[in-house]
Amino acid sequence: MSDIGMILDRIGRKLVTEVAPKLEGDYSGGHAAMSGLMSVMAGEAWDNAADRLVNEIAGLRGLLALGGKAVTVEASPGVKISDLTVERDALARDLIALQESLEAREDDEARDLNAKIWMHLMATAMARMPSPPDFPDAEE
Amino acid sequence: MLETDLAEKFAAYAEAHLPGARNARVDSIHRIHGGASRQTYSIDLAYEDATGPKVKGLILRRDPPDSLIDTERRVEFAAIKSAYGQRDLPVPEALFLETDQAALGAPFFVMGRIESGEPLNPFRIDTVEPHRAAIGEQFFRHLGSIAALEVEGSALAAETETPAADQCWRRELDYWTNEIRENALTPQPVAEAAIRHLERHPPPPAQRLSIVHGDYRTGNYLQDGEGRMTAILDWEMAHIGDPYEDLAWATDLLWCGNDQERAAGLLPWPEAIAVWQEASGCTFDPAAFEWWSLFAHVKALGIWVTSEKAFAKGENDDPILAWSGWFTHAAHELMLAMRLGPKYGAGA
Repeated sequence: MSDIGMILDRIGRKLVTEVAPKLEGDYSGGHAAMSGLMSVMAGEAWDNAADRLVNEIAGLRGLLALGGKAVTVEASPGVKISDLTVERDALARDLIALQESLEAREDDEARDLNAKIWMHLMATAMARMPSPPDFPDAEE
Repeated sequence: MLETDLAEKFAAYAEAHLPGARNARVDSIHRIHGGASRQTYSIDLAYEDATGPKVKGLILRRDPPDSLIDTERRVEFAAIKSAYGQRDLPVPEALFLETDQAALGAPFFVMGRIESGEPLNPFRIDTVEPHRAAIGEQFFRHLGSIAALEVEGSALAAETETPAADQCWRRELDYWTNEIRENALTPQPVAEAAIRHLERHPPPPAQRLSIVHGDYRTGNYLQDGEGRMTAILDWEMAHIGDPYEDLAWATDLLWCGNDQERAAGLLPWPEAIAVWQEASGCTFDPAAFEWWSLFAHVKALGIWVTSEKAFAKGENDDPILAWSGWFTHAAHELMLAMRLGPKYGAGA
């Protein structure tokens, strides 16, 4: 099996450094550059996607358990990205409801759990942030 | 429509609408990259009138074929008309607004082309050197000047509602909340928490009701490479509201090249605020700015989820929309989480 992440990275770099410059001035040149940039980002995301989703799901299930919520969302049948995404999204909806209910309370327990939810949201947002691709050849 | 067909039809339209024009033809036409919400073309129109032959540089902004944004087109045209020729603002002349699809296959408007200047990439803002301070001074002076434009009697006021000073924030927050909830393809816990936070901590009423550009930032103006801002573009989100909305959007971290020392990555904060205050007549209020700068992140998320949906559903296949739905969405979600988390006890 080929290294998909590597393939996407190499295709992206070719689009940005070779194809897009040849199309400079044409409307499609912008499309080529942007597509190349995202291909490199997709290569990185390909490698991380399952790990990131599994971590998000574990965090969400833990927070919902702390909130005393009966979680009815079933675990994914496998680690296909699409299956994990469905599970993560369902849990995220439950988290939104839990956080809203905590914000309506003024006790320490609610504040503590809300702080934990924010820790999770901060960590998740950091993990989702793609690295800005670096193209030293294209910028010369 | 092919560009040759578009050129022929546009020449016929222009000849019929430019007073005294005859023998109109399009000498050149090319589509400009960016601005995915509208197809944007640069056109050289040659024609004759009573004073002899002329060539006029024009910008054509045409709706995509399936566009449902009639109101926005009218608003953009009216906003440009409201600012043109006012307070030294570098704004193109608004020429034609055509709502009938018959002429060019879709509604469109036409403005004069400003002949000098290139957009500055907000992700490579350092390329503005050695003119950073000069551009920064103009950036904040023009921003303040827009805030100081007369609202009453303006073309924009005729096209949009004028909210009460204490309802500007409510209207904008409701609008972008709805955009997020209608268009997000996945749950948005950070955006939802931010919306609730903003509702619980409203800003002070607007110090004045102003024309709000709506997307005033690096990337949406032209500069000539010699220290002069030559055009303020992309007025499609213009409305009447609180001038802090524009100040906060203009200085959002995404457009600053990650430079937190300089407002908009251009001018030290105290200088930027002083220039803006003098031009706008407003007094800087940190509480108002805090609210509107958090709101700017939420508004951005509203734009990015809408872009992502348009791309995912095949309504618009411009890759910039996929970029917006991915990279810029992630960036603004991260900014919101890192700013709000500590307010609720989460360590940074």
